[in-house]
Amino acid sequence: MEAAPEIGLWRLMAAFGLLLIPLGLSLAVRLGIFRQLLVSAGRMTGQLFLMSIVLLYLFRWDNPWLNVSWVILMIFFACFSAMVNSQLSFGRFFFPVFMAYFIGAGMILLFFNGIIVNYDNMFTARLMVVVGGMLLGNSLNSTIIGISHFYESIKKDNKRYLYLLSLGASQNEALLPFFRDSMLAALKPFMANMATMGLVSLPGMMTGQILGGADPQTAIRYQIVIVLAIFTAVTVSVALSVYFTSRRAFNEYGILKQDLFRN
Amino acid sequence: MNMVEFQDVSLKFGGNRLFDSLSFNLPRGGRLIIQGASGTGKTTLLRMMLGFVLPDKGRILIVGQELNLDNVWEIRQKMAYVSQEMQIGRGRVETFVREIFNYKKNRGISYRRERLLELLEDFQLSEDTIHKKLEDLSGGELQRVAIIVTLLLDREIYLLDEVTSALDQPLKELIVSYFTGLREKTLIISSHDKIWHQQDFSTLNLDKHGSST
Repeated sequence: MEAAPEIGLWRLMAAFGLLLIPLGLSLAVRLGIFRQLLVSAGRMTGQLFLMSIVLLYLFRWDNPWLNVSWVILMIFFACFSAMVNSQLSFGRFFFPVFMAYFIGAGMILLFFNGIIVNYDNMFTARLMVVVGGMLLGNSLNSTIIGISHFYESIKKDNKRYLYLLSLGASQNEALLPFFRDSMLAALKPFMANMATMGLVSLPGMMTGQILGGADPQTAIRYQIVIVLAIFTAVTVSVALSVYFTSRRAFNEYGILKQDLFRN
Repeated sequence: MNMVEFQDVSLKFGGNRLFDSLSFNLPRGGRLIIQGASGTGKTTLLRMMLGFVLPDKGRILIVGQELNLDNVWEIRQKMAYVSQEMQIGRGRVETFVREIFNYKKNRGISYRRERLLELLEDFQLSEDTIHKKLEDLSGGELQRVAIIVTLLLDREIYLLDEVTSALDQPLKELIVSYFTGLREKTLIISSHDKIWHQQDFSTLNLDKHGSST
């Protein structure tokens, strides 16, 4: 199979022309997203163009140290974005969440590159940067959901937590049901998505590979292993985030500290 | 010996002086109703006994021991705290109860299903409640299950925070008469319900204590 044909400038513009429909609708029924939509689409385009240049050089140099540093930088951005999108305090959570991601996603990435994809050099940009980006990008949302759910439900269901403590629970015993709930909140939507994959949607990685000329048999195998890797990365990241943060989130009386949330 | 004793306890909360040198004590088998308009700190007072809220000044003694960091986890074992409209967990009732009995600190107490069934009957819940899921129970059923779990643990002091407020009259009467019947237990109740005030309990009126500034 041949690789996907180039999309020329005029054709790219035609795709932007599609935006006239949502923009027009926004004006007609006053959705109030006109400006925001333009900014979002502009940012996406700019960031991806920049990324194409970065990738070009990362591929050209293909230096293992540079590739690993790039992954760490991506983890940093992922945590930053996770923090911005939750109500949790930066100071208290950034480092523990970063470590959780670093260990969780990092470990899975090494496993993926070293064992599943049997390539000569597992630190090559093709694997480190591209697969790393996919793994991080796709596990981000579920991880935010998991951590936020944990702390927000302890805050909201404070009575339940205090009730369990008064029933003789140690702090960890009282936190266990909240941990269970937050794991479920993070993993269940993902599992539902996994169950319909291929029927309802053709996932991006697979589509990309097929367009790039890969045989569908190869493309689905890559899709299967990446989904399994992402799912495991989310599980490990949420579990470790909760573990690392909960050490410091409660006082010696077992009470949730007040300064964990941004207001 | 006093089961609960407050000595000159003061607490500020968001600029307001909630308690100012509050002192009282309650012997074994004592019954106390905490009265006061909302915002006067009824719930806070109960939470202070459990070491969930710490006083700015003064001492709190539970069963003769001053509440502090070294003993707070032990002292919580003497008490049971039930609040109104509380989400207590998920899954089947009996699984939940077994998990509570599996806590390290509760391993000395053995779980007896007959006792659970007995209490369900006392509180007019059917036997098959033990197989129902907590999330499927109505508010009134859940409230009674929460109470039953504390009774299974057979604690000495019961802290009941508006437990009857959301229940209908027959259920209120049932719960009040059950607890009044427990002569050995020390009860501390925060409630607006008239029915508790008709009992021969001593009263602590918080409207007269702390002064809002």
